[in-house]
Amino acid sequence: MFGVALRSVRSRGSAFLATFLGMFAGAVILMSFASLLDTRNGNGISAADKDTLATMAMVIGSLALVIVTFAVFSTLTLTVRQRSAEMALLKSVGATPGQVSRMIVGEAAVLAVVAAVLAMPVAVLGGWGLLKMLGSSNRVAGDITYHFGPTAIGVGVGVTLIAGVAGAALTARRTVRMTVTESLTDASVGSARMSRKRVIAGWVFLAIGLDCGILTATLFKGKGLGTTQSVAGEAVIWSAIGMAVLSPALIRVVISALATPLRRLGGASGYLGVLNVRQRTQQMAGALTPIILFTALGSGTLYMQSIDNSLLAASGRAATGDDKGVETLNYVVVGVICVFAAIVLINSLVSATIYRRREFGQQRLVGSTPPQVLRMVSIEGVALILTGLVFGSIAGLVAVIPYSIARTDSVIPDTTIGIYLAVVAAVVVLTLGASVGAARRAIRIPAVEAVAA
Amino acid sequence: MTTHRAPAGGGEALRLASVRKVYGTGDNAVAALDGVTLSLAPATFTAVMGPSGSGKSTLLQCAAGLDQPTEGQVFLDGAEMSRGTETAVTKFRRQHVGFVFQQFNLLPTLTVLQNVTLPLRLAGRKPDRNRCTALLERVGLGDRLDHRPAELSGGQQQRVAIARALAARPTVIFADEPTGALDSTSAREVLALLQETVEVFGRTVVMVTHDPVAASYAGSVLFLADGRLVGQLASPTAETVAARMTHLGDAVSARRAAVGA
Repeated sequence: MFGVALRSVRSRGSAFLATFLGMFAGAVILMSFASLLDTRNGNGISAADKDTLATMAMVIGSLALVIVTFAVFSTLTLTVRQRSAEMALLKSVGATPGQVSRMIVGEAAVLAVVAAVLAMPVAVLGGWGLLKMLGSSNRVAGDITYHFGPTAIGVGVGVTLIAGVAGAALTARRTVRMTVTESLTDASVGSARMSRKRVIAGWVFLAIGLDCGILTATLFKGKGLGTTQSVAGEAVIWSAIGMAVLSPALIRVVISALATPLRRLGGASGYLGVLNVRQRTQQMAGALTPIILFTALGSGTLYMQSIDNSLLAASGRAATGDDKGVETLNYVVVGVICVFAAIVLINSLVSATIYRRREFGQQRLVGSTPPQVLRMVSIEGVALILTGLVFGSIAGLVAVIPYSIARTDSVIPDTTIGIYLAVVAAVVVLTLGASVGAARRAIRIPAVEAVAA
Repeated sequence: MTTHRAPAGGGEALRLASVRKVYGTGDNAVAALDGVTLSLAPATFTAVMGPSGSGKSTLLQCAAGLDQPTEGQVFLDGAEMSRGTETAVTKFRRQHVGFVFQQFNLLPTLTVLQNVTLPLRLAGRKPDRNRCTALLERVGLGDRLDHRPAELSGGQQQRVAIARALAARPTVIFADEPTGALDSTSAREVLALLQETVEVFGRTVVMVTHDPVAASYAGSVLFLADGRLVGQLASPTAETVAARMTHLGDAVSARRAAVGA
């Protein structure tokens, strides 16, 4: 079946693009940070610099690891689901469930290795840039020689491969368990229910996040800046991941609340959009994950930094090297992770929308005008945006409120709303831009051809 | 080739006037339709037949507004088919055209009833739930209103598609190989329903098919070869249609051989 997997990857390049891009971006981030460990092992580096490099690589690297793993996982789930019909076909011509699983896992493994290898040159640049930035903000000595070596390569290839294979194996297990008829139905509609395990996992992650939040405000109150922030950071990550895991249920709640206004707003397009979201909560979850991560990490980290900045300004003392270092670190993390989340978001939206070309064609044949199709896609986008923003913001608050208590003794941080508005604007532009843009392309071909394809 | 000439504007469900459709340009230009003129009276059931490559599908697509003719006009119920943007053509089609396709083309996320009411919703009309339910009962699916298409057999899906085509009360229903993906029992049911849409609901049906048995359900058959109408058969039977098709196939091969020589 590995041969089939290889041929399948080669002959259907575009179908694998989404998964590949996610893995590629993830590998770049992981290797950039991991290369700091290679650099650390160079000659003539002071003990303090070694510590800094290790902290940077381990703290931020592990954060990136969790997020990259999760994102690769969720992209794979989406792309494998889109191929349910193909799996059903393979099974109907006599492939055993084991053979189908091996094919899916084999494809993911090939993609992961190729993505990680191609990511290396970019990661060399990324890691070098990180080191320069640490040097220019005086976190480490400016003259350290950059190394990209076995640690970076091992972490990059290893994590991408493990995340890819594990994600594929889990999705494959679900897909191949279904009967041929079930998977044909699933390909077009998608089952609405989440498994018990998934629900439990979601609540566990949320509990961990909440726990970190509580610890931030209690046990770590008054501890060093870096420590408090990193616990608060954990609070954001775990609550965001918990929300993402539960996102099919979350979007169902939101769409029930919004059904009437959206239908009124969009007429027939609103009606179709609401039905589509209801029927495809699992597919929607693929795009919700990056929106939630983006919102939670973007607003969470930036607000924590903003709390510190205003504290510093109020105290009247000059910023120390430590303050500046933490600030740089924060901006790097937010920047890197938000760019990554944006890539995954655009990726999954474009791939999910292009995949619906046939459905759009069928709709046009029944009497949808092109503007009606685009309006429907926008309405679905609005549902995604609102769900992602609401629950991403809650995940962000799980960290920001305790952090504000820990640092300033007040629940509501005394800072600007501007940061939040910027995050919201970015989410709106990215989501609507990607989905409506892709839909516009998808309806460019005549409806009859779209249906025949 | 005209089956029936009525006074302009009245008594015609569909009229094609010198419709040509040319694909490609210059030396590569191929006329898929080469000056087709025809007129169909309301409440008639017409089958269009011809060897593959004869232009059957192109004829249907031009007549139904899915493709624009290079020359000539198409009239539905006396109104000329809009040209221009897809939006303009779609709005025209909503009023005049219903479809039944070989691959059914029901929307997978919608239930049976939602699929049937969809054309009305898209046109901004309030869907009459009772009427749509009645249509579905008529096609024998009154107990499947809340099923999704993937839960139905091919024959059942095609019957939903017929109910959907009837829902908006279009001038003409175009059926493109409606039995092509069905077993013979389901095919018979679907063809009987198409007859019913003409006899009971007073719609006009144009069906493209390559199956003489399917064509025998129609009131008349038009034969197409190399983009031209080359014959007509009233009150067809499977045998007379098959005989005519064999003859037509031979004639076309002979002519193509002569052109090629």
